[in-house]
Amino acid sequence: MGLKKLAAKVADYKQRLEKGQTSEIKPDHVQKVLAKLEKKQVDLKARFDAETDPGERERLTGKLGIAREQIARARWLLDELD
Amino acid sequence: MTGFYGNGALCAQGQPQAWLLRGKNGAMRKYYLPVAIGTLLFAFWFSPDVQEIAAGVAIFLFGMLMLEDGFKLFGGGRLERLLTAATRSTGRALSFGIVSTTLLQSSSLVSVITISFLSAGLISLVGGVGIIFGANIGTTTGAWLVAGLGLKVDIASYAMPMIAVGIVMVFQKQKLWRGAGYALGGLGFLFLGIHHMKEGFEAFRDQIDLTRFALPGLVGLLVYSAFGMVATVIMQSSHATMVLVITALAAGQLTYDNALALAIGANIGTTVTAIIGSLGANFQGKRLALAHLIFNLTTAAVALALIVPLREAVDWISALVGIAASDYALKLAVFHTIFNVLGVLLMLPVLGRLVVFLERRIGEPVPDVSQPRYLNEAIDQFPETLESALRKEVLHLYDNATELIFHGLNLHRSEVFEADNIAQAVRQSRAIIELDIDERYERKIKTLHAAIVDFTTRVGGKRLAPEIADRIYALRDVATGIVTAVKSVKHLRKNVLRYTTHPQGKVTDLYDGLRTEIARVIVEIRKFDLATEEERSVLWLDQERAQLEDDSRSSARRVEDLIRKGHISPAAATSFLNDSGYAYGAMRGLVAAARAYYVERDRAVAEVEQLIGFDEEDLQDAARDSAAGQHAGGTPDRNRTVM
Repeated sequence: MGLKKLAAKVADYKQRLEKGQTSEIKPDHVQKVLAKLEKKQVDLKARFDAETDPGERERLTGKLGIAREQIARARWLLDELD
Repeated sequence: MTGFYGNGALCAQGQPQAWLLRGKNGAMRKYYLPVAIGTLLFAFWFSPDVQEIAAGVAIFLFGMLMLEDGFKLFGGGRLERLLTAATRSTGRALSFGIVSTTLLQSSSLVSVITISFLSAGLISLVGGVGIIFGANIGTTTGAWLVAGLGLKVDIASYAMPMIAVGIVMVFQKQKLWRGAGYALGGLGFLFLGIHHMKEGFEAFRDQIDLTRFALPGLVGLLVYSAFGMVATVIMQSSHATMVLVITALAAGQLTYDNALALAIGANIGTTVTAIIGSLGANFQGKRLALAHLIFNLTTAAVALALIVPLREAVDWISALVGIAASDYALKLAVFHTIFNVLGVLLMLPVLGRLVVFLERRIGEPVPDVSQPRYLNEAIDQFPETLESALRKEVLHLYDNATELIFHGLNLHRSEVFEADNIAQAVRQSRAIIELDIDERYERKIKTLHAAIVDFTTRVGGKRLAPEIADRIYALRDVATGIVTAVKSVKHLRKNVLRYTTHPQGKVTDLYDGLRTEIARVIVEIRKFDLATEEERSVLWLDQERAQLEDDSRSSARRVEDLIRKGHISPAAATSFLNDSGYAYGAMRGLVAAARAYYVERDRAVAEVEQLIGFDEEDLQDAARDSAAGQHAGGTPDRNRTVM
């Protein structure tokens, strides 16, 4: 996902926040999500290392890719909040 | 939060005192209103001053309703947490019963709430019985309030400003203010009701001397106990009966002895509310109502048997604390407290045995998985129990659904869950599981789904807090998503039996692939469920969503390749492509249901997950990238400021 799309999502969030339709995000909230994603990444990596079946390894590689992308997004969001 | 495995009476219900007359007692409902109105009209004709007494009782009951509404608004999810913490030990449960009844000024209401929470599985039976014991002590504070305060000071002068300020607060938007307004106004109405009862009895005294009907000795004890019981059954509030008795006693319209008997009778009568409340409850609620009855009957029997020593004890304690020998109203409050505390002291040592007796007397019915387990009338009144019970029922539906999905695919759930290699477990599962899938669907899925839809529609009519209403409707959608997934798997059944019960080459591989994918999705949802709430995030499920899109594309490409090479017939390929559509629809539905079910309750954290989560377009991009041997990329430029 590019910056443009995430920026649009954030702009939409800010509008909803101004209208009192959502709760304010603080760095702690992002940190909490980030910790959960990092835990999942560690678990997936451990499963990948233990896996011998090529098909399964390929699936886990795909999942690790998604986890990495989400972690990158969370870190970016955290930077923006900080 | 339990996973896949594992307001107010006045404003919300749209009818006054619904909990008082709730239940299935048709005869009682049928005759209650005409008898009550007839009795009142006769009494008004007999003496106009009765009007003030009756209005006093009505205002008092109205005050109790407002108090109830106030505490419900305060409640939110806090009540659930509070009750869970309060029932960790018998001592805590007892204290909770005392405090909550003192605050709500209604042991009947506390009993009904406790039955409701017990029915919803939020508290244990021992905890529930502890609360009921405590409620019996807490209810005695009402007698002290009236005898000690209501009769001694000009209570109406406090009532008026409380009502006025309370009503102003009720019209505020914030829940906290509204809750406080209801509670303050309710207390004001309680005071006003007491004032009118007091005034009514004083005026009444000038016309008729009720003490002419006083009965001495054992006969008086039994007859007035029966009166007290009947009065409480009619008003469904021992508290109101006690207030009435104390004000009549203070006005000299009752003898002290008869007042003691009325207090004992009121304790028996108060169990009726819990019994009515338990009619719509499950076996646990019925056990609690029986415990309440046993406790109050025992206490009453002991009080009647020991009336003479108890009376002496009251005189002794009253003298000790400086209560005048002629202040019968306060002495009645002392008596009420003593015999309820005595009841608790007698019953506490046998609490364990009582629970064993209750469990034997009212057995747990053999679970019928086809019937709703948690949605019953007893949980209807409180937002906390509504949502909690609905969550459990959706879980129950999911459990039935996954079992049917696995069997529909000729797989055994336990074998798949235990397998190290799911694909291998699926390939080894060739034996036919005998199953009438339509019959099983009707019995185990449709019945529960109908109950869930009916329940959400019913509670949708109540004025729930928006966030609770949203969550309830979201749970209904989760249930619908689960049912849709089962329906999709029903379509697969025919070809699963045709192609997977004995190896038929490539087409069997294709169908095994579908079976494996569905099994994997359910296994991943299970793993998600087994993770603790603190460590899991619905974002994990994006990995499954992306995997599904990837698998769906790979599967289509594989079929095209097999057709080109002539390894499967066009007819078989068409069947498979249709079935594949159903299968991936089911998988997407199950993941969507899990995402909605486990959605983060902290709105700010949920917002973060929403922002960084994958949308449909991202999933398609990820699948395309995967097909091209890449992963989803494109982290935003960190140097750009967007917030």
